[in-house]
Amino acid sequence: MGTEFRYTLNRFRGQILGWGLSIAALGLFLVPFYDVFAEQKEGLLQLLESYPKGLMAFFGDMTEFFSPAGYLDTYLSYLPVIVGIFAVLGGSGLLAGDEESGRLDLVLAQPVGRTALFFGRLAAFVLTTVGIMAISWFGFSVTLGSTALEMTWGQMALPFITLLAQMLLYGMLALALSLVLPSRRLAASAAGLVLVASYFLSSLSRINKDLRVVAQLLPHDYYQGGKAVAGLNLTWLFGLLAASAVLALLAWVLFLRRDIRVSGEGGWRLPGR
Amino acid sequence: MPTEAALSIQGLFKSYGRVPALRGLDLEVKQGEILGFLGPNGAGKTTTIRCLLDLIRPDGGTIRVLGLDPQAQPVAVKARCGYLPGELALQDNTTVEGLLRYLSRLRGGRVDWTYVRELAGRLELDLKRPLKNLSKGNKQKVGVVQALMHRPELLLLDEPTAGLDPLMQQEVLKLLREARSNGATVFFSSHIISEVEEVAERVGIIRQGRLVEMAQVAALVHRALRRVTVRFRETVDAGALAGLPGVTVLSAEPAGVTLQVQGEMDGLIKALAAWPVVDMETVRPSLEEVFLAYYQGGPASGEVR
Repeated sequence: MGTEFRYTLNRFRGQILGWGLSIAALGLFLVPFYDVFAEQKEGLLQLLESYPKGLMAFFGDMTEFFSPAGYLDTYLSYLPVIVGIFAVLGGSGLLAGDEESGRLDLVLAQPVGRTALFFGRLAAFVLTTVGIMAISWFGFSVTLGSTALEMTWGQMALPFITLLAQMLLYGMLALALSLVLPSRRLAASAAGLVLVASYFLSSLSRINKDLRVVAQLLPHDYYQGGKAVAGLNLTWLFGLLAASAVLALLAWVLFLRRDIRVSGEGGWRLPGR
Repeated sequence: MPTEAALSIQGLFKSYGRVPALRGLDLEVKQGEILGFLGPNGAGKTTTIRCLLDLIRPDGGTIRVLGLDPQAQPVAVKARCGYLPGELALQDNTTVEGLLRYLSRLRGGRVDWTYVRELAGRLELDLKRPLKNLSKGNKQKVGVVQALMHRPELLLLDEPTAGLDPLMQQEVLKLLREARSNGATVFFSSHIISEVEEVAERVGIIRQGRLVEMAQVAALVHRALRRVTVRFRETVDAGALAGLPGVTVLSAEPAGVTLQVQGEMDGLIKALAAWPVVDMETVRPSLEEVFLAYYQGGPASGEVR
C-alpha cells in the first residue's frame, strides 16, 4: 500500500503544484484587492442597485459583497466548479485510467492485493486534494495582515475545509462511476455534469424556489464558501465527508469484484464474479 | 522429479457478457516443464492466463497455481509467479530502471539487481532510457526482464517474443530454457509455432475455449500424417497401395505416386519392396502443419485426433 501511495502521489505532484499555485495566485490578487472595493463601497452599491434583481439573486446577496465574508464568498462560490475539474478527472482516472491503458494488468500481477492498491491510491488522491487546498489557503492568507479583511489565518482555513469536502465528494463520485460505466471519459463526463448542474441549480434556486427540492439533493447546496469564516456548519461538513466515504466504500467493493479490463475493453454490464 | 502439478485447471468457464471465452478448459502443467500454449486470436489463451493471476474471475471451474487457489490467495500466487501480459503497456513518465524499481518495491524489494543488470545486458536494454522513447521491441524486453527478475517459480508469459527481432527472440527462448534448468516452470502462449517447437517439451492447443490437444511436441508431430512421394523405374499399378492400412493415394502417375500415411511406415515399405523404387521422399509435417490441421478442416467438435 505504501509503494502504491508514494507512486500515485508522485504522479499527482504536478497537479498539486499546478492547481495549488493557481488558486494561491488568485488569493494573492483577491485578498489585497478587498481594500480597493471597500474604499469604493458607496459608488459600487449604487451600481449594483441598477442591476436586474434576478441577476443579483443568482449571485447571492450582493450587498454582502463588502463584508469580508461576503467578499470572499463571491469568489469562492465558483471555486468548486473550477477545482472540481481536478477532482472529477483525478477520481475517474485513479484506477480506470491505468486500466484502460492496460497498465493496471502489470501492476496487479505483482504481489499486491486489490485492497492495498485501492486504498494506497485513494490515500494519495486525498492527500493531493488536501495539498491543493493547503497551498490555496496559504495564498489567500499570506497577505491577510496588510488588508482590511480583518481575518485570521485560522478563519481563512474554514472555506477551504468546506471546499475540500466538496472535492472529495466529486472525486469519489467520479471514482465510483469509473468502476460502473464503460469508460473513464464517460465517468468523468457524468460526474462533471453533476458538478456543473449542482452549481447552477443551487444558484438558480435562489431565484426559483421550486428548484430548492432538487438543489437540496446536490452537493453544492451544502457548500459554505466564504461564509464559512463565521463558522463551519459541521452537519453539512460531516454529511459531505460521510457521503464521500460511502462512495469510496462502494468503489472499493466494485473494484474487488471487478474483472480487470485489458486495453480497449469496455461494456455496460455491471461487474460481478 | 516433483510430481505435483505447477498449474492445474479443471472445467474452467469464462464468458464476457454473452460471448463465451472458455468452455470447460482442462489443463495441467507439470513442475519444471516448458509448456507452449497454442491457439489463434480469440481462442482463450489470454483469458486463461489472466484467470491464473486473478485479474479476471472465472464463471466456473477450479484453478490451482503452485497448489494455491488464485482467487483465495492472489498475493501469495503472484509472489511466486512472473507474468508478461500479451498487450504490454508501460508508464511513460519514468525510465526503464524507474519502472523496474517500482515493480521491485511492489514485490517487497526482493529483487537481485545484479541479475536485473545481467538480464538487461543480455537483451541489450538500456536501463537509463526513458520508457517513452522505447520502441515496441524494447518495451517487450522490459516486460521480459520484469517477469524474470525475481526468479519466479512459475512463468506465465503471453506471447513473450512478440515484437522482438529474431536474435532477441532466440535470447528470450534461451532465458526460458535457463529458467527451466534452474527449476522454474514455464507456461507460455504463442502464435509462433516454430518457437514452441524449439523450446517447449509439451504443447497444448486451444480452440474455441477448449483444449483440443495436449501432447509432447515430438509425439504430436510423429503421430500426424506424413506425405510420401515414391518414384519408380518403370510403370507400376500404384492403386494397390491404397489398400494398405493408414495409406491414402493423393496422386498417381505412371512412374510415381504421392501418398499420405498415418501411423507406422512398415506396411508401406514392405509393399514397395516388390517394385523397382528409384527414390522415396518422406516429409514429416512441422508443428505448424499439425496446428493448422486443427483449424483447417480439423475436428470441428474439438475432439483430439
